Amino acid sequence: MEVQKEAQRIMTLSVWKMYHSRMQRGGLRLHRSLQLSLVMRSARELYLSAKVEALEPEVSLPPALPSDPRLHPPREAESTAETATPDGEHPSPEPMDTQEAPTAEETSAYCGPRPAKVSRKRRSSSLSDGGDAGLVPSKKARLEEKEEEEGASSEVADCLQPPPAQAEGAFPNLARVLQRRFSGLLNCSPAAPPTAPPACEAKPACRPADSMLNVLVRAVVAF
Amino acid sequence: MAESGGGNDIQWCFSQVKGAVDDDVAEADIISTVEFNHSGELLATGDKGGRVVIFQQEQENKIQSHSRGEYNVYSTFQSHEPEFDYLKSLEIEEKINKIRWLPQKNAAQFLLSTNDKTIKLWKISERDKRPEGYNLKEEDGRYRDPTTVTTLRVPVFRPMDLMVEASPRRIFANAHTYHINSISINSDYETYLSADDLRINLWHLEITDRSFNIVDIKPANMEELTEVITAAEFHPNSCNTFVYSSSKGTIRLCDMRASALCDRHSKLFEEPEDPSNRSFFSEIISSISDVKFSHSGRYMMTRDYLSVKIWDLNMENRPVETYQVHEYLRSKLCSLYENDCIFDKFECCWNGSDSVVMTGSYNNFFRMFDRNTKRDITLEASRENNKPRTVLKPRKVCASGKRKKDEISVDSLDFNKKILHTAWHPKENIIAVATTNNLYIFQDKVN
Repeated sequence: MEVQKEAQRIMTLSVWKMYHSRMQRGGLRLHRSLQLSLVMRSARELYLSAKVEALEPEVSLPPALPSDPRLHPPREAESTAETATPDGEHPSPEPMDTQEAPTAEETSAYCGPRPAKVSRKRRSSSLSDGGDAGLVPSKKARLEEKEEEEGASSEVADCLQPPPAQAEGAFPNLARVLQRRFSGLLNCSPAAPPTAPPACEAKPACRPADSMLNVLVRAVVAF
Repeated sequence: MAESGGGNDIQWCFSQVKGAVDDDVAEADIISTVEFNHSGELLATGDKGGRVVIFQQEQENKIQSHSRGEYNVYSTFQSHEPEFDYLKSLEIEEKINKIRWLPQKNAAQFLLSTNDKTIKLWKISERDKRPEGYNLKEEDGRYRDPTTVTTLRVPVFRPMDLMVEASPRRIFANAHTYHINSISINSDYETYLSADDLRINLWHLEITDRSFNIVDIKPANMEELTEVITAAEFHPNSCNTFVYSSSKGTIRLCDMRASALCDRHSKLFEEPEDPSNRSFFSEIISSISDVKFSHSGRYMMTRDYLSVKIWDLNMENRPVETYQVHEYLRSKLCSLYENDCIFDKFECCWNGSDSVVMTGSYNNFFRMFDRNTKRDITLEASRENNKPRTVLKPRKVCASGKRKKDEISVDSLDFNKKILHTAWHPKENIIAVATTNNLYIFQDKVN
């Protein structure tokens, strides 16, 4: 769906801009980061509401579903909480330690049958049962799974440049994670055949895209 | 002509252009601020390389009265150097964010210049004579052998070539965690404020090791951050009053007499959002990039991405005037987000009588709005019109549909050529308009 694709594209673009802004001279700009996170949040809302509309026959919608990208205050605070951390005063040494459950809860608020991950504890072992593939913040498992999902995002590859090879700055771990993630997303490797054509998004088995959404969101959360 | 100039039918003429001619712009030469002093005799620019260049207007030549004095380079100095914050492993840019002049009290001129972290007070003074005839020193400075001194003489001042010296008199450092976006000198001429994304500090011009924090919007939990400070200014007449604008499109007026920490505003200026204009990027284009009081102090002007708004300080719920700068960009916001133009911070300025306001746009266009006649004009800063006293032709952007002759279509606009900084002479119709690396000076036509 056009709206979904567009929202996804904007989200990817926003994360890329956030990553890129940290490499600039003068350090992170708080105002710019805030603006990027606002756009990312709106894009995510748009994406989720577009997806819900697509799945409408299957799930019962919550009554107050917004049709335009407007947020409920709690989620707004959450999203800002997830995205507006960078001020350099309390750097998180481990980017993976950030909240993950709220994201899962939001997703499950829209898509009933999807399994909601409520436990905030990080699982050290890889939970690679398919249902939770995109929801559980397991370092190793997530990185491995990411390689499989490259094909699903062919449409976002065009307008973005590949990230620089060398990560700098105060959060090298995060930078490397973002780099590896998005080199998968952005440089659709010709060797890997697409796991599903973009047209499959309308079907219930649009899990790859969904996982990618959560990956993107989690990248923002970690950021 | 249907489109006469804004401002009582002024015809604007090219006067001068400063800066390199090449299209290849060195990043250090990008102009980042422009400011006339209180008399208008001096015009200061700051650039990304940390340099300040001051131009001085020549005295009017009464014989050739068809143009006002030209501006020539008066002084150039390196105000800020790149620095490194070792604790945060961050480079501190030397780019000059703002320059503000102090009113002249003696022969010397003083200005404040700031980068992201440090404000400096510079003294610019002239030296046109030097003492000669010392008893103990030779003319070249070497000391004479005291035993060879047989007579005494009184040193005298002799004229020399004019030398303009700039020296840093005060350095106000280490008071800002975030990036400084504004400085503003109080009408008491003793204090000034500096504002970063989350805090505003009050300084005394004589005291560098201490500043008072007067606004702090940093939330206890940074994850709850929803808005930042984008600009701040003292009221031109009331030394207790200042305003600051936010990324959410609000302006808060604070009275320093109310409390030491002005976290609670005295007035909150906010216009309800027009629901028909709501879009994906509404939030970010409502961010205010500049706020300027009128000279009278009765009004203030704010600039957001697409418009200029004039507020009456006595009315908080909506602006009294709104001018669309480039409404044709509203449908292009997505592309402007992609190329980062949506984050451009345009400034705005008043003319001396507060009757006309000016701001910049893309394609090296700048716009003027006459508040009395409600007419507006779009002009271009371009080297093509660079014969002195050439009257600038009004420009027009064709938003959609059939493009008329001499109109330019939105898709042909060059978004790399943006005018972010403009300044208006405090007393005359002389304006300074900064393109990326050139400074244009325009004057009204004098007959």
